Amino acid sequence: MSLVISSSIAIAMAMDDTLELDYSVHSNNTTTTAEYDHDYGCNWQYSWPPVDDWEAVAGCDDFRDLIESMMDDGELNFNLQHPCEQVVEEGNSSNSDMTADTMVVDEETKGDDSKGVKLVHLLMAAAEALTGANKSRDLARVILVRLKEMVSPTDGTNMERLAAYFTEALYGLLEGAGGVQPKHLISNGPHRDERHHHTDLLAAFQLLQDMSPYVKFGHFTANQAVLEAVAQDRRVHIVDFDIMEGIQWASLMQALASKKDGPPAPHLRITAITRGGSGSGRRSIGTIQETGRRLTAFAASIGQPFSFYQCRLDKDETFRPSALKLVRGEALVVNCILHLPHFNHRAPQSVASFLSGAKTLNPRIVTLVEEEVGPIGGGFMDTLHHYSAVFDSLEADFPMHSRARALVERVFLGPRISTSLARVYLAGGRDGDDESLNGPWGEWLAAGGFRPIPISFANHCQAKLLLGLFNDGYRVEELANNKIALGWKSRRLLSASVWST
Amino acid sequence: MFQHKKPSTMNSHDRPMCVQGDSGLVLTTDPKPRLRWTVELHERFVDAVTQLGGPDKATPKTIMRVMGVKGLTLYHLKSHLQKFRLGKQPHKEFNDHSIKDASSLELQRNTASSSNIMARSMNEMQMEVQRRLHEQLEVQRHLQLRIEAQGKYMQSILEKACQTLAGESMASGSYKANIGSQGLPDMGVMKDFGSPLNFPSFQDLNIFGGDQLDLQHNMERPQLDGFMQNNDNICLGKKRTSPYSGSGKSPLIWSDDLRLQDLGTTPSCLGPQDHDPFKSADQIQISRPSMDRSGADIDSISDIYETKPPLQGGGDSMGEKKFEASVKLEKPSPRRAPLPTDRMNPMINAGAMPQGRNSPFG
Repeated sequence: MSLVISSSIAIAMAMDDTLELDYSVHSNNTTTTAEYDHDYGCNWQYSWPPVDDWEAVAGCDDFRDLIESMMDDGELNFNLQHPCEQVVEEGNSSNSDMTADTMVVDEETKGDDSKGVKLVHLLMAAAEALTGANKSRDLARVILVRLKEMVSPTDGTNMERLAAYFTEALYGLLEGAGGVQPKHLISNGPHRDERHHHTDLLAAFQLLQDMSPYVKFGHFTANQAVLEAVAQDRRVHIVDFDIMEGIQWASLMQALASKKDGPPAPHLRITAITRGGSGSGRRSIGTIQETGRRLTAFAASIGQPFSFYQCRLDKDETFRPSALKLVRGEALVVNCILHLPHFNHRAPQSVASFLSGAKTLNPRIVTLVEEEVGPIGGGFMDTLHHYSAVFDSLEADFPMHSRARALVERVFLGPRISTSLARVYLAGGRDGDDESLNGPWGEWLAAGGFRPIPISFANHCQAKLLLGLFNDGYRVEELANNKIALGWKSRRLLSASVWST
Repeated sequence: MFQHKKPSTMNSHDRPMCVQGDSGLVLTTDPKPRLRWTVELHERFVDAVTQLGGPDKATPKTIMRVMGVKGLTLYHLKSHLQKFRLGKQPHKEFNDHSIKDASSLELQRNTASSSNIMARSMNEMQMEVQRRLHEQLEVQRHLQLRIEAQGKYMQSILEKACQTLAGESMASGSYKANIGSQGLPDMGVMKDFGSPLNFPSFQDLNIFGGDQLDLQHNMERPQLDGFMQNNDNICLGKKRTSPYSGSGKSPLIWSDDLRLQDLGTTPSCLGPQDHDPFKSADQIQISRPSMDRSGADIDSISDIYETKPPLQGGGDSMGEKKFEASVKLEKPSPRRAPLPTDRMNPMINAGAMPQGRNSPFG
């Protein structure tokens, strides 16, 4: 197999080798050396390595700052001022030995940061090779193989584990891109078999909730908005797009049932939207029926009048409002929680059909929780930033509980990374795709004629108090009158917004 | 403000005669010459106070200096300032003061005066602030209850899973085999923490049998145990002390709440029924269960969870403290919640929320 490897990539490999002198990857070394002997010219339009100043890298403690500073350099056209540059310009890949020598001195002093940087470079290169202007699946494969050697999902630093999951995700794209339907990839689990054991799922879910505010933020904000909207109603009907294990409604029921003054607890009816077949996803904590039983029992235990219904989506996961059983006089609430770490991916068309169907029903209130896309607009780096922030946020509070975090990462975050990347690279590239479905759902709702409903002081306050229970790095940000976002440091991760018709 | 004071028993025809002195001050002619705080005088007073940075910053001496009014004594200013300060806190009791001072009557009658208007708007602002503070306290209280509700619901899920697994393990006859198939490394994760969740307690299932009560004991305990690593950091995550928690921005109540996390709900909720979990941490871990439950099983349960010696490092403890802090609030806390149920073991009621409900749900 002839490989088109640019000299710069070759140098990157050589650099890898120097760092990995301690690693026993002999077999791989031989292969790559052989590859270096082929000089097929530069198929790679960018210089490599894409970092200006190794000194800056050395001094940079915050990996994310580094990434951001790199991004500030603009696209990927970096100037290379490193001694290595001369080698690059000569285009002579057989200088790997020389570069190895010159590199050793610098590399050894950089430590983990440079490894992290290198990982990012390689990931970017792989992503670019897979999907960029100069596609080369072979090149991508080489890079990914290299990456796989360097990182493991259970060992190492945050960056290393993150890179491992991204590597897996890209690998999934690689394998899948060879003719398999893209939709297949947007599945609820990475390319390898991800039948998580039930206990893993539950353990990871419990840990996720204990270690981070992600789950509660969305649920509590939505619930508070619901409570305020139905304060005077006797009957409340909530249509939940993705009820999962139902925990969101535990606190709502508690709030409804415990109102001391004012009208007695309203009757609460919840309709869970269900999907046929594998709709519940591989990562499900139980069936919808179980959720219904649990919620019913919980309601009974607190004296909350309650009934549970299901409404099935069509085969193509389209929502038909007529399938919903409605009762006169009930306040209709539409709840659409997407993208929480433990959630399954839902196809944009399905979400769109649900929301537009919901509009026809004239709900009192629509609550939406979704991922926030970064300023770069949702591409590969953005996704990397996003999950880097999530990994960091978990570590910040629980630096010693790496195994717990590793479990959460493996069960939830890894698969989410896969689906996110699949969405990034496969959505929008197909004919007939509605581009607007790839943007934030909040914007879609606004464009679709939904009215924003302001988030109250109490709700905002609750969010802040909730975050106060966790690390200071978490922030609530008011993005709009009807929308607040949960962020880690400077990165917005999740947003909750409230709408009506 | 002044106008809200209860009308004194004096009414207009009882008003003592006033004379205007040389200095421009109006003094009454009754045996004890009292200064009448006219509108103009009061306005000057308020101006001076504002200049000095508000009623809390201003002192009679400085006010006197700023006002520069001859014949005005510290005594006059002291009492007037006190009333002024009290007037800024509308719900405080100031009725007794108002009765004594005739000047309050004067002000009450001059409702259109600018100083009253100013006072009123300041009052409204104050009330708005008060309202917000109350609301915030309400939100805090509700948040706690809601987190507890989620926690209880989680319990029901975990219990169900435990029962299912218990069934499986019994059926298969060998628990170890099950563990293997489940992916031992992950169970190991839990073991590392000394069973942060219920699952390692599956081991106990074989030992303690499928007794519902024990199951629940096992369920509840590990909730936090693992993360606390059975060490002396049961200091319920006093958030402030954790280096990871930053500037301790938890306002007012939370840190206290954290400390008060009640044992009864989940054994892991550190314990001691007193509000001082930070002390005698070592004992807490062990004594806690026995405090909560009866039965010889308990001590052996705690033995099982005592898998690691108490950690001494600050780093570890901090991280765990933080975790405890966050987890704590997830746990139902009967002491705080309006559930006067069996505080010792509400979970035996399988998380029934209101008092008297004994049916486990889930």
